[in-house]
Amino acid sequence: MGNAAGRIVTIAEMQGRDLSRRWLALGLLVALPLSFYGALAPHDRHAPIPGGIAMAFSMAGVAIFAVLAARRVDERLALASLRARELMAGRLLCLVALSVPIVGGTAALMAAVSNPPRPWVLGIGVAMVALVAVPFGLAVGALVPRELEATLILIGVVGIQLSLDPSVGLAKVLPFYGPERQIDSSLGSSYPVRTAVAISVVYAAALLVVALLFMGRRVRVRRHPPPTPLPAIPAQEAPARRD
Amino acid sequence: MTPNEPPLLSATGIWKSFRRRTKPVLRNAELRVCAGEVVALVGENGAGKTTLLRICAGLSAPDAGQVLAAGSIGYCPQEPGVFDLLTADEHMVLFGRAVGLSRTAAVMQGKKLLQGFGFSSEHGDVARELSGGARQKLNVALALLGDPPVLLLDEPYQGFDRGAYVNFWDHVQTWRDEGRAVVVVTHLLAELDRVDRIVELSIPTAGRAMAAAEVEPESGKVG
Repeated sequence: MGNAAGRIVTIAEMQGRDLSRRWLALGLLVALPLSFYGALAPHDRHAPIPGGIAMAFSMAGVAIFAVLAARRVDERLALASLRARELMAGRLLCLVALSVPIVGGTAALMAAVSNPPRPWVLGIGVAMVALVAVPFGLAVGALVPRELEATLILIGVVGIQLSLDPSVGLAKVLPFYGPERQIDSSLGSSYPVRTAVAISVVYAAALLVVALLFMGRRVRVRRHPPPTPLPAIPAQEAPARRD
Repeated sequence: MTPNEPPLLSATGIWKSFRRRTKPVLRNAELRVCAGEVVALVGENGAGKTTLLRICAGLSAPDAGQVLAAGSIGYCPQEPGVFDLLTADEHMVLFGRAVGLSRTAAVMQGKKLLQGFGFSSEHGDVARELSGGARQKLNVALALLGDPPVLLLDEPYQGFDRGAYVNFWDHVQTWRDEGRAVVVVTHLLAELDRVDRIVELSIPTAGRAMAAAEVEPESGKVG
């Protein structure tokens, strides 16, 4: 395994070990979207939309926590020569791996209970929520210094997305518009799946770039030049040519 | 220090201000440390010791001035920069990877360093369950991983008991004998006879440009 790849996997592993010891947080991570869905499912056939989007609270929340909890350690790791992009990639790897069972379980449950006409589109829609939520959390965590501010931003953005009608202009520029339309499409709307996926992927990529930029600024280490230049090695005189 | 010997770390003419403070924290501060030398950085609260150390480590940018350093820098912050829910060995693997050590080499070197401080990582406790002193030993050991030639230690003995404190200064002598350049931020004056030079930072006042002065270790007299 290459050096950079090895470092990224090690960061992902340690992030995973840290998260795996937070049983209560992990439980809430799974329970939060399910509780949104469970509260609405008995009387609303569109319950998979808030249920799926609520997963953004979980996945973005854990990403924010992962970045902010590591703030003091990250600068030491950067000083020890880890790059910001390696720190970010390691965390991303861990969180994407964590999201797989949560996405799978949530989508399967919602498909079984709500019985949407196109269950596979629902699955992709829920996966798109995680795809956007993880970089969103990484970007917010890299941007703000404390958990309170980060949590308020998360609640604000996801809350507004959930409250607004998708036809409103503001809803279309918020990060979870693509996944929301995709889940809606799985329930029978005519919104093109490819467009919803494209919007989600572009938003996720843009958020990742923002996360990288801010992370790069936060853990920037200035490498100092050496005190004196290395003494020049005197050039050896060329031996006299004997013709 | 031999006069002509090039320092392993040299900070000259360092100025630093923070947005929320009207006066600069550092005004024309200087710090030089050579191979095989221990420098104590002293000064009252707010004199800028931590700021200067962070600038020397490369974690903060000075407004003016220049830092030169030969080789890698081991930096031990005042507050333990560790993950609450990782064990000491897991920290060693993570930090070891960062400095280019394999997993096995990092754990072995880490265990040796921690044992030197009288701390065994065999129990596998996560950092949150360690005592303050044990966390601080882990904090110092992480700075030493990879054998950096320059060590910047910001009040590294906080939480140490008397034995660990004495043991720490014995280690400082060992690092000096190994040829490393060591800077220790300290408030405790009892051990200043164990350092080669003392650099005192004072809170800058109007009309006083020089914020760093050297003190003779034996007499405590400002030079």
